[in-house]
Amino acid sequence: MTATQKTCLVVDDSKMIRRVASRILRDLQFDATEAGDGREAMVMCRSSMPDAILLDWNMPIMDGLSFLKSLRKEPGGDTPVVVFCTAERDVTKITEALEAGADEYVMKPFDSDILESKFAEAGLV
Amino acid sequence: MSGVLSLDPSYYEALKRLTLELAGVKLGDDHTFLVETRLSALARKEGFENLSDMIDQLFSRGQTRLAIQIVSALLERATRFFADREGFEILGDKLLPALHPLYRGGTLRILSYGCSSGQEVYSTAILCDRMKDMFPDMDVEITGVDYPSLALDRAKEGRFTHFEVQRGLPIRHLIDYFTRDGEDWVIKDSLRRRVRFADHNLLSDTQSLGTYQIVMFRGRLAQYSPTAVVRIMRHLSALTSANGYLMLGSHEELGKINFGFSAEPVAKGCYMKPAEAPLEKLVAEPVRTRSTPPVEYKDINFA
Repeated sequence: MTATQKTCLVVDDSKMIRRVASRILRDLQFDATEAGDGREAMVMCRSSMPDAILLDWNMPIMDGLSFLKSLRKEPGGDTPVVVFCTAERDVTKITEALEAGADEYVMKPFDSDILESKFAEAGLV
Repeated sequence: MSGVLSLDPSYYEALKRLTLELAGVKLGDDHTFLVETRLSALARKEGFENLSDMIDQLFSRGQTRLAIQIVSALLERATRFFADREGFEILGDKLLPALHPLYRGGTLRILSYGCSSGQEVYSTAILCDRMKDMFPDMDVEITGVDYPSLALDRAKEGRFTHFEVQRGLPIRHLIDYFTRDGEDWVIKDSLRRRVRFADHNLLSDTQSLGTYQIVMFRGRLAQYSPTAVVRIMRHLSALTSANGYLMLGSHEELGKINFGFSAEPVAKGCYMKPAEAPLEKLVAEPVRTRSTPPVEYKDINFA
């Protein structure tokens, strides 16, 4: 990782999704790390707050929305740009995510173009 | 790749000529597979057994309607919401404020010339809606025109796929201006009321379209032949009202012919048409792009 390289934590219970998303993010020059659920992600954030978080909604142990609400209360937890990345497509759910502090929202399935576009919207690329 | 293609190479050459003659667009040499994919879809829709049957019929009977459909399918271009974002910043930060004093109490007309599936039109409508409190006394009417095509049909319907709405469109705009309909997202009526679409051959006479204060023709010039560029620029000039603006792509610029527009851009890719337009210089140099290599049709994303 270089001094100027941005960090992104990919939080998803699907190993395949984490792998695909991390590869895309590395192509976008991010230093990507991975967590399998909200609790693991919280431990990692407390250790080192990333610049961005790509966050799934439905996960075991701690879901994405609970994680996001907790994250925003943590010291420095207001700084990461959080992009939800989920199969949830209801406007109600999207609104709920934005009200909880999400900056952008990706609906699965996604491709590299969409991820890049959303990260650009969030001012990350 | 050519081994799996069904289209005879001579047909491909004939299609290239047809596209150049009808639309002034240069097809690239190395995207026969993508061209075949598009036309195969059209052949199925039109009830032909296969693509070769459709092309046989086109060249043996010379059907105008079929020729237009084929060329339209070939010209369909992939686009996205708020494409070339710098242009939208210029529109919001410079052009609308500059035109507001002139159109206070009236209607400002914006034209997207070659609107494809409508993302540019709807992006403009969204921008204007976001800025309506700054210009409460000015209505904005946005029109999109293009060759009749499936893309234009989709634009008229205001229906976009899950993938399309995620390219360039901030999530807050999605929930503010679209409703979900199954797998698709559809423009809300409140926004749709601000826009209209019309079939129009971009090389044909524009008199029936009227004039507009802002004419958008962004990122398209390089795909046209030099002759077609001159024709299109004359049309764009006729479509732009006095004191109005032409918006090319932010990487595009006018060449030595200014077609009645200011010689120098007021912002990147953006030219004003003075109230008393100076005479066109009679130097036959086409409009050119700056800093980017010429884009042939092969560079257009067919996906």
